[in-house]
Amino acid sequence: MKIPVEMRNILYGNYFGYVCTSDRHDQPHLTPVFFIYDEHSQKIFFITNDKSKKVKNIFENPNVSITIDIRDPVNPFNNEGVMAQGTAKVTEHAPIYFLSEETLQLYYDIYMEFKSKYQKVIENKPLGENDVIVQISIQKIVYWKGPHFKSVKFDNSRLE
Amino acid sequence: MDKGAKKEMKWIYEEIVGRIPPFSLVSYQYSILMQLFFLLVLGLIFGFIFKLESVSLLYGSLAILVAVSWSLLILQLGPTLRKFRAPLSKDENELLEKYKGILFHRNHYEAIPGLAIFIPFMLYLFFYGSDLLENWLGKNPHIILLLFVSLLIWDICYRMGLGIWASVLALWRSVRLKKLAEKRTELEHTPYTELRSLRRLDINNVFFGIISLLLIPLLQSDNFLVTIILIFMVFITLISVISAYIISKVPWLPPDIYNLVNESSFAYIGTSLGGVTHVTPVVYVFDGQEIFFNTSKEAKKLKIMQKNNKVAFLIDKRDMSNIYENKAVLFTGEVKIYGLLDVPLRLVQMLQTLSLFIKKYPEYTRKYSTSELPEAWQLTPIIARILVEIKPVKIIYWRGAKQISVPV
Repeated sequence: MKIPVEMRNILYGNYFGYVCTSDRHDQPHLTPVFFIYDEHSQKIFFITNDKSKKVKNIFENPNVSITIDIRDPVNPFNNEGVMAQGTAKVTEHAPIYFLSEETLQLYYDIYMEFKSKYQKVIENKPLGENDVIVQISIQKIVYWKGPHFKSVKFDNSRLE
Repeated sequence: MDKGAKKEMKWIYEEIVGRIPPFSLVSYQYSILMQLFFLLVLGLIFGFIFKLESVSLLYGSLAILVAVSWSLLILQLGPTLRKFRAPLSKDENELLEKYKGILFHRNHYEAIPGLAIFIPFMLYLFFYGSDLLENWLGKNPHIILLLFVSLLIWDICYRMGLGIWASVLALWRSVRLKKLAEKRTELEHTPYTELRSLRRLDINNVFFGIISLLLIPLLQSDNFLVTIILIFMVFITLISVISAYIISKVPWLPPDIYNLVNESSFAYIGTSLGGVTHVTPVVYVFDGQEIFFNTSKEAKKLKIMQKNNKVAFLIDKRDMSNIYENKAVLFTGEVKIYGLLDVPLRLVQMLQTLSLFIKKYPEYTRKYSTSELPEAWQLTPIIARILVEIKPVKIIYWRGAKQISVPV
């Protein structure tokens, strides 16, 4: 599934994402994450600790949003970014020999993707014992540049 | 040591009242009301027995009212300070321990200013030929009445002394705290809640000073004493206003976070409505105390915040070359959205904030002022851009990979 090229460029060309989750009382929570985007499945992946507040929130409420943007402190018309909204799923977490082949493959693929995107940061650091992969199935993307907005919606049921 | 200090954090008055039934059996607010009632009844009974004029009863009641209002204010010091969480700075903690130590000293120094007022006043009243006693009780009052009046006078003088004692110490504490706060490093600070409760105590003292004006009708025949009361009122009120002002200038954020908030240009605001979250970048300003951002009247986030004012607000420093240099702070809590009603009430604050925006983002302000933009995007303050203030309840700070929870 294709998305407009300007959205695509933002999603592939940036390192920091800001994930917003909220708990069952509608109290939002926000953290910066490293992420990877996959256009084919319209998914965003990030790795986090399974004890983190965002994972706790996702179990209470799977609706999440993530903003990825370019900031220009001088000229606001150069500010450009996307906000993707969707539902998040935390991959099952178990000792490696209990994981299904599919999950193992996912761990491997995502880890390799992260390594190539965040080479400088990750180097050869393996996944931690408590690390889990969170995958966001994107339902809607809002794009802005300066004061101009654009948005696209996805029919997720078809993608699953 | 701590246990002893906590036990000692009471004044003579609190200690005595806390031990006598029935006052010891009820919470302290009720015990104050009971004392008021008890003294009033006693006064009325004496008035009846000794056939006092109604003006005497009125004077007596007024004195009791003053004493009890003062008690209500001043006795909040003990419980508030007993609940005080220790500042996360060694020096500031020592200062506050010292402050509490002097305020509630086991030698009960707090009674000294009271005595210093009571003794000269009694001498003046009984031996200096003042006609106040006659005004209050008529000619040749009974000895029991004189004793009762002396008790009331002691009650008043003791509390006047407490007022001086508490407000002078508060000013000293505020000045020292402000100085120490300038020398903080890294995550040292005194939490917001504690600074707020110190300020609230100072504001109590302001009321304490104002209430002394109620004594003027009692003393109206004596210009000298009226002047003394006015001086007392101005003294307490002024000192307490200054102390409250200084406390309001003590940063409640530790220097690491303060600097990050002060130096960064962008923030992200996360909102949520019915479980659906929303996150966008915003520009913001920080005046040393409060954090503000503004948003277009048409923005989705504003519509969400109007229905659910719980937010997450994140400010960070990105550095891809060295992730251990990355810093971020997350404030979770609520927002206050400024509306038209706030214009008359908080005009100064709003104008100050606007000028901070102009100073921090000159280009933004210039570009957003052009009329070529859609109306909602123009930076017409208040009308099209809405000012929003962050009211944090929780602070999380990340430095490199380390996560630290900072008490608010």
